[in-house]
Amino acid sequence: MPRVKETVLHFETDEPVKEGGFSMKRALLYLAVAIFVGVLGLSWLTHGTGVIKNDIARNIFIPTELTMPLQVKAAYNGRDMFFRYRWPTRQPSIYHDMIKFEGGKWVRHGASVAGPEPEGIYEDRVTMLVDDGSVPEFARYGGYITVGDRMRFFTNEATAAEVRAHPYLGQKMKQTEVGKHLPATRLDISDWKSVVPEEQLAALRKAGYFLDLWHWRAHRSNPIGASDDQYIFEARYGDAGKGPFTDNWDSQKQQPKFMLDPDKTGRRALNWDDLMQHKLGFDDVYYISEDNSAPFDANYAWKTGDTIPRRFLQRGDGSHADIKVAGKARWKDGYWDVTLVRAMDTGNPADDKIMVDKRVYNVAFAVHRDTFGSRWHYVSLPVTLGLGRDAEMIAARFDGDAPKWDQAWTNVVLFYPGQVNWPLLNSAKHAGAKDIRAGVPVKSRHSEIQLAHYGVEMEFADAIKRQWLFTIGAGVLLILGFGIALNGLLGRKGA
Amino acid sequence: MAAYHAVLVHFPIALLMTATLAILVRAVSDAPLARAVDRALVPLLAVGVLAGVVAYGVGLMVWPWETISATPLGRNHMLVATWTLAYWALLLATRWIIGEAIWEGVTRWVMAGLAILGSALLGITGTLGGHLVGIYTEVSEALRLLGWEVYTTYYVPDFTLAAILIAAIILTVMGILGRRRMAA
Repeated sequence: MPRVKETVLHFETDEPVKEGGFSMKRALLYLAVAIFVGVLGLSWLTHGTGVIKNDIARNIFIPTELTMPLQVKAAYNGRDMFFRYRWPTRQPSIYHDMIKFEGGKWVRHGASVAGPEPEGIYEDRVTMLVDDGSVPEFARYGGYITVGDRMRFFTNEATAAEVRAHPYLGQKMKQTEVGKHLPATRLDISDWKSVVPEEQLAALRKAGYFLDLWHWRAHRSNPIGASDDQYIFEARYGDAGKGPFTDNWDSQKQQPKFMLDPDKTGRRALNWDDLMQHKLGFDDVYYISEDNSAPFDANYAWKTGDTIPRRFLQRGDGSHADIKVAGKARWKDGYWDVTLVRAMDTGNPADDKIMVDKRVYNVAFAVHRDTFGSRWHYVSLPVTLGLGRDAEMIAARFDGDAPKWDQAWTNVVLFYPGQVNWPLLNSAKHAGAKDIRAGVPVKSRHSEIQLAHYGVEMEFADAIKRQWLFTIGAGVLLILGFGIALNGLLGRKGA
Repeated sequence: MAAYHAVLVHFPIALLMTATLAILVRAVSDAPLARAVDRALVPLLAVGVLAGVVAYGVGLMVWPWETISATPLGRNHMLVATWTLAYWALLLATRWIIGEAIWEGVTRWVMAGLAILGSALLGITGTLGGHLVGIYTEVSEALRLLGWEVYTTYYVPDFTLAAILIAAIILTVMGILGRRRMAA
């Protein structure tokens, strides 16, 4: 075995291998360094993979893009307040919640689901929370304060049965899910059930402790030039009065209440294939309303593929109908351009934040696009809005009925917030909980992209933590192994 | 404890960065000055690693485990700090055990490369610590460009964990065999 003998010799003497002019010891040293660096490189190239994946059963779907831009302008004339919003989306989503005739019965398509609606039946939306300073945490933390314990579409969401069983939220207020709510409406922010006594709720509301919610929807309000007007308090509610839509479904008869009026639209129903191929645009009939409908005719010979919108658009009234679309909200060349208008003083201070000249407000925006619903929206951090006052966004004062919109856009970064809620942010799991108690604003410590990444990681918190611990341990073992290799392969003092 | 940690981390940073400089000087020079610097290397590394252990220990007391292990930046800071400490301990042990022979032949360049890598780890640890207290540097932007978004936890998938463990075993075996043969 001359070759083995030679190898041993080289280890002992560090003599070069005759053929290659290279010592075995040195070759192994290089190999050890190469293994060490190579594995570090592999670690670098593969880090952050293997854990984050969509899991609809756990209400987890991570959007491809974690941030998106929104442009906003505001203007007022002393009587009306205008907001103009512009944001990109690949194509407009103006269909929503349909009932399709199939197999001899009417079947719902386009309900709110985790992630994007698989058939593309879910509308675009823009929403804006408004406060006048009555909810001080909102100015610092924006919509985060409205995200409470076991919210709808979180992995640990409260069940409909649990909410229905709640004596106040379920039995009295007819809620079926835990929606946005404000912290002071709960005795314990970590327990959605712990609603404060009703007299305390009334006192808070009277003190203006609620957030105004402007809520424009591309299907459920836009076709009739309306916007929903809501507020957030111990839950999310519509303002007093009639909203811009209601359900078009007779649950007893299991059929729509209304169909399209053939005399006005030339048809009784939409065609499912037209929806799937996005053939129906802004100038076509793709919605059902008071103006284009007739009572449903159950005796008509309905055929497979006939489709009737499940949401019935109606002229709202009262405080619920304060917000209108100014002009026409349309998608063009890749961007939505939506302008909403409302009286500065609606006369409904219990539902709306009254806008006053020379006052500063706090607003936060959100956009739903690409057929995402519920919590799969992009949200902003709070933005100050000044009516003729210095602020991050300054509303321009104008004379006349319509703004000129000659001021620059305010550019806002929206981000996917993931499953981060207010109880978590105030818990020991958040290093900034102490800062929140001290009133440090979120913007001073976090950027939007940072919050988006944190939001995503929170959805896989346990798995990432486990993998992180393994990674630390593996790294230490690698360093230890490399240390042993180095010390075994290098010559030593006195050798 | 945060304030104490902030004070204490200056010691390992200063000492280990100085050690890096000493290693680089010795790697490129056999002059008397470089040899003199090298004689101070083991004490320098030893005190640096010891100071690192103290700073690491105090750092563990800044936030409860529940907090630090729940935040991506906190996790990253802990991960890189742990690796950095282990890595510099490796360099200390290597220089200590091998002695001046470490500077013979090509191994001096291996040592220089390892020192540069150690400095990089040290710098990343400090950068992440700065992030945790709201002090940001462009280092994180550089890491982002290189492929690591520091606002996401650094972890590797199972197959990479397996590769690391196999590599660690192979390296250990190589070291043990090498030592036995030298001892033979």
